[in-house]
Amino acid sequence: MITFWALAILMLLSALWCVTATRPIYSVVALLGNFLMLAIMYLTLNAEFLAVIQMIVYSGAILILFLFVIALLSSGIAPFSVGPDRLPRIAIPVLALALIALGFLAWALAHTAVATPGATANGAPLGPVGTPDVFGSVGDFGTALFTTYLLPFEITALILMVAVIGVVLLAGDQAPYVATKKREAQVKRDMREAILREGGQ
Amino acid sequence: MHHVMGVDGYYPTLIALWLLPLAGALVLWAFGPQLRRSAGPLGSAVILGSFVGTLMLWSSATQHLSSGGVDLVGAHQTLFSWIPGFDFGLFIDPLSLLWALIITGVGFLIHVYSIGYMDGDHAFARFFAYMNFFVFAMLTLVLSDNFVGLLVGWGLVGLASYFLIGFWFFKPTAVAAARKAFVINVVGDVGIMFAIFAIFSSVHSLSFADAFAYAGSYSTPWLFVICLALFIGAAAKSAQIPLHTWLPDAMEGPTPVSALIHAATMVTAGVYLVARCAPLWSQNSDAQVLVGTIGGLTALVGAILGCAQWDIKRILAYSTMSQIGYMIMGVGVGAYEGGVAHFFTHAFFKAQLFLGSGIIIHALHDEQDVRRMGGLLRRLPFAAVAIGTGVLAISGIPGFSGFFSKDQVIYGTLAHGYAWLYVLGILTAGITAYYMCRLFFVTFLGSYRGAVDPSDLGMRHPELAGTSHHETEPHEAHSANAEWFMIVPVAILIPFTVLIGWIMFGGENSPWARFFAEQFPHPALTATAISEGVTGLITFVVVLAGIGIAYLRYATASAQSNAVARLRDESVHMPAILSNAFYFDAAFDLLFVRSSQALGRFFGRYLDPHVIDGAVRETAISAEWLGTLVRSFQTGLVRAYAFILVFGAACFVVYYAIVAGGLH
Amino acid sequence: MTLMSVPLVNYITLSAVIFFIGVAGVVMRRNPLIMLMSIELMFNAANLLFAAFARAWLNNAGHIFVFLVITVAAAEAAIGLAIVVTVFRSARTVDADEVALMKG
Repeated sequence: MITFWALAILMLLSALWCVTATRPIYSVVALLGNFLMLAIMYLTLNAEFLAVIQMIVYSGAILILFLFVIALLSSGIAPFSVGPDRLPRIAIPVLALALIALGFLAWALAHTAVATPGATANGAPLGPVGTPDVFGSVGDFGTALFTTYLLPFEITALILMVAVIGVVLLAGDQAPYVATKKREAQVKRDMREAILREGGQ
Repeated sequence: MHHVMGVDGYYPTLIALWLLPLAGALVLWAFGPQLRRSAGPLGSAVILGSFVGTLMLWSSATQHLSSGGVDLVGAHQTLFSWIPGFDFGLFIDPLSLLWALIITGVGFLIHVYSIGYMDGDHAFARFFAYMNFFVFAMLTLVLSDNFVGLLVGWGLVGLASYFLIGFWFFKPTAVAAARKAFVINVVGDVGIMFAIFAIFSSVHSLSFADAFAYAGSYSTPWLFVICLALFIGAAAKSAQIPLHTWLPDAMEGPTPVSALIHAATMVTAGVYLVARCAPLWSQNSDAQVLVGTIGGLTALVGAILGCAQWDIKRILAYSTMSQIGYMIMGVGVGAYEGGVAHFFTHAFFKAQLFLGSGIIIHALHDEQDVRRMGGLLRRLPFAAVAIGTGVLAISGIPGFSGFFSKDQVIYGTLAHGYAWLYVLGILTAGITAYYMCRLFFVTFLGSYRGAVDPSDLGMRHPELAGTSHHETEPHEAHSANAEWFMIVPVAILIPFTVLIGWIMFGGENSPWARFFAEQFPHPALTATAISEGVTGLITFVVVLAGIGIAYLRYATASAQSNAVARLRDESVHMPAILSNAFYFDAAFDLLFVRSSQALGRFFGRYLDPHVIDGAVRETAISAEWLGTLVRSFQTGLVRAYAFILVFGAACFVVYYAIVAGGLH
Repeated sequence: MTLMSVPLVNYITLSAVIFFIGVAGVVMRRNPLIMLMSIELMFNAANLLFAAFARAWLNNAGHIFVFLVITVAAAEAAIGLAIVVTVFRSARTVDADEVALMKG
C-alpha cells in the first residue's frame, strides 16, 4: 500500500512537471521519471515482462528519439517563434472538463462494485515475481502471444513496417541524385555553404 | 350500363360534315396569304358541303327504332374510346339536326355575304378561317353524344367568338370587348364543368344517354344543383341576366360575325343545352321556375334597353338578348317545341336584320348611329325591304314567322301554369314591336341627317360612333361585284323570314310538332282559361299598340320634319339608368374587376417580393449563415481540434459513468 | 494471494488523473514535442489500467494489450516526430499556433 501511494504521487508529480516544463529537455527528463515509476508499478502488479518492455522500448527508444529531435530543432535558430497565443486561457475549459469527468467517474465508482470475475482467469497461476512461469512472466506472456494472439502480433509487425516506410519518406534524405562523382562533390559543397549562410542570419 | 340514344351505326357523312369546316379552317389558316381573294369562296363552299351533308342525313336523323324496350331516335356514331368505358361519339337526332341545318345553312349564306362585306379587308382569309373554325366548333357542340364533347365545343365556340369579336385587333374597344366576352363565357364553362362533375358522381358516365336514363333517380336537391350549374353555363353563353353584359359590346366585331354568332347560332347554345337536357329539367319543377323566370326577365330587360339605344347594331343586340330570353323561357317552362321553334324563326329574321343593317353601314361608309341616318327609303330600297320584313317578323305580325313561334312560347307558359310569365311575354312583345319599329322609322323615314352636326342630334361622343374599321386602315378598292355578294344572301333569307312559320301552323298535326314528336317529354297539361287562338289575338293587339306608339313618336309628318329636335331631346333626356344599362357593368366592375385588381396588386407588391421572394432569399441567407457558423470551427489550430476531441471523449466518459455506474 | 493488496479503484483513479494531465498537456502547450509527450502520457495511463485489470482478473490478455499499445505508440511517436521535422524544414517554425495552414 505504501508502495502504491509513493509511486502514485511520484508519477503524478512527474507528469505535471512534464506538461508544464518551460524547456523541452526538462519535459523529457520528467517523462523518463514517469516511465520509471510506471515500470515499478508494473512489477507490483506481477507484470514483470511488461516492466522490462516498458523500460527498454519507452525509455530506451522513444525518449531517445525525442531527444534527437529536440537536438535537431534547437540547432542554432530558435524554432519556437513567439507568435500570439491563439487559444488564450484554454486552461479553464480544460480543467473544468477534467474535473467534471473525474467527478462523474468518482460518482460512478462509488455506486458500483468493480467485479472481479474469477472465471476469466487464464494462463499460469500467480506466483512471486522472478520465479519462472508464473502469471506475468516471460513464459506465460510468450505462450499467450504466440498462440492465442498470434494474429495481432503479426499485424503489429506490419504496423512497424509501415511506420518505418513513413518515416523514411517523410523525413528522409533530401539530397538530389547526381550522375558523376565530381558533380556530387560540387553539390555537397553548395549545400554546406547554403546551410552555413542561413545559419548566420 | 351503357345506354345509347340513337341507332348505332356507321355514318361517314356525319363525320365528314363535322370535320369539313375544320379542314377548311386549317387550309385557310395555313394558306391564307396565298389564297387572297379566293379564300371567301373556298370558305363558303366548305360550309355548303356541310349543309348538303346535313340534308343527306335527314332520314337517318329522324329514324326511330324500338329495340329491347328502348325507343331509339336518330343516328349515333361512336368515334373513339377516350378512357376505357368512356366513348366519344357523334349523335344526330331531330334537335341537333335542326341546329346543324341552321348552323350550316344560315352560316353558308352569311359566308357568302361576308365575301362582299369584308371585301378589301387585309385579313380577308383570316376572317374565313375563323368563321369556318366557328362552324366546326358549333357542330361539335350540337353533334356530341356526351357532356365532355359538348363542353369542348362550348369552349371552342367561346374561343371562336373571341377571335371574331377582336378581329380588328388594332381597335382597343374591340380587344376589350373580346376579352369581356371570353371572361364571362368562362364563368359559364365553370358552371357546366361543375354540372359534369355532379352528373358523373351520380351516374359514373358522361354520355347523354346514361345521364338521362337515370334522370328519375337523382335526388331532388342534387338534380336542382345540376340544373342550376348547367343553366349558369347556358346563361353565360346565351347572354341571360346577369351574364348578359358581353353581348352589346360584342357588336365591335364585323357585322357578319354579329349575324352568325351573336344572333343565329352561338348565343342559342344555351337554348340547345336546356332542350337537350329536357329529361333532367322535366323532373325538377324548381329548376324550371328558375330558368323560366330568368328567361322572362331577360326578355323584358332586353326590350326595355333596346328602346334606349342609338347604335343600330346595339339595338339589334339587345333585341337578340330579349328574343333569346323568350327561347329560354320557352324551354325552361317545358314548352320545348315552342322555344326551339322561336330559335328557328329567330335565326332567319335576326340574320336578315343584321345583314340588312350591314348593307346600310357599308353604304353609309361605316356610320352606325341611327340619328345620323334617315331618309334611306329611297336611297337603299332593298335594305328597307329586308329590314322591314325583319321588323314585321320579330314584332309577331300574324302570318310572318315570328308570330307562330312567339305565340307558341307565350301560350306554352300559360299551359304549363306560369301565369306571370304569360303576362310578361305579352308585355315584352309590345315593347319589342315598339323599339323595332322605332329603328325602322328613324332609319328610313324623314330626310337624311348625315350632314347635320352631331351635337345638334344630341350625340355626346360623335368620334365613337361609326366604329367600323375602314376609317383607320387603308384598303384595296372594292370590286364591283361586292354588292351582289351582300344582296343575294339577304334576298334568299327574305322568303324564309316571311313564310317559314307556316310549318308550325296546325297545333298537334303541324309538320313541326310531328318532327319533334319523339324528342321531348310531353306531360299531361291542364286546360287553360285562355286558348291559344285568343292568346294570339291579345298579343296582336298589344303589338299593334306598340307599333302605334312608335308611329306617333317617329313616323308622323310632324315627327319627320322635326326629327333633329326630337332626337336631340330624346338623347339628352334619356334616363341615366337606361343609358347605363341598369348599371350591370358598373356593378360587375365594382364587385369583381376592382377586387381582382386589388388582389393582383397585393400579390404583386407585397406577397411576391416579400414573402415568396423573401423565403427564397432567406434560404440562401440561412445557408450562408450556417456555413459561416461551421467555418468558425475550422481554425486550423491543432490544439482546438484536440480540445474538441477531448470534449467528445469526456462526453463518452460521462455517459458510461451514468449508464454503467448510475443505473443498476 | 489472488486478491490484490491495493483495491482496484485506486488504479482506476490514478489512471484517469494521469490521462487528464496528458489531455491538458496536449491542449495547453504550443510545442508539438511536448504535445507528443503528453500523448505518450495518455497511452501510459491506459496501459496502467490494462495491467491492473489483468492482475485483478488474472487474465494475461491485458498484458498482451499493453504490449500492442506500446508497439503502436512507438510507431506513432516515430511518425509524429518525422512530421515535426518535415514541418520544421519548410516552415522554419514548429509553433502549433503558427502552423495553421488548414484554416478555413
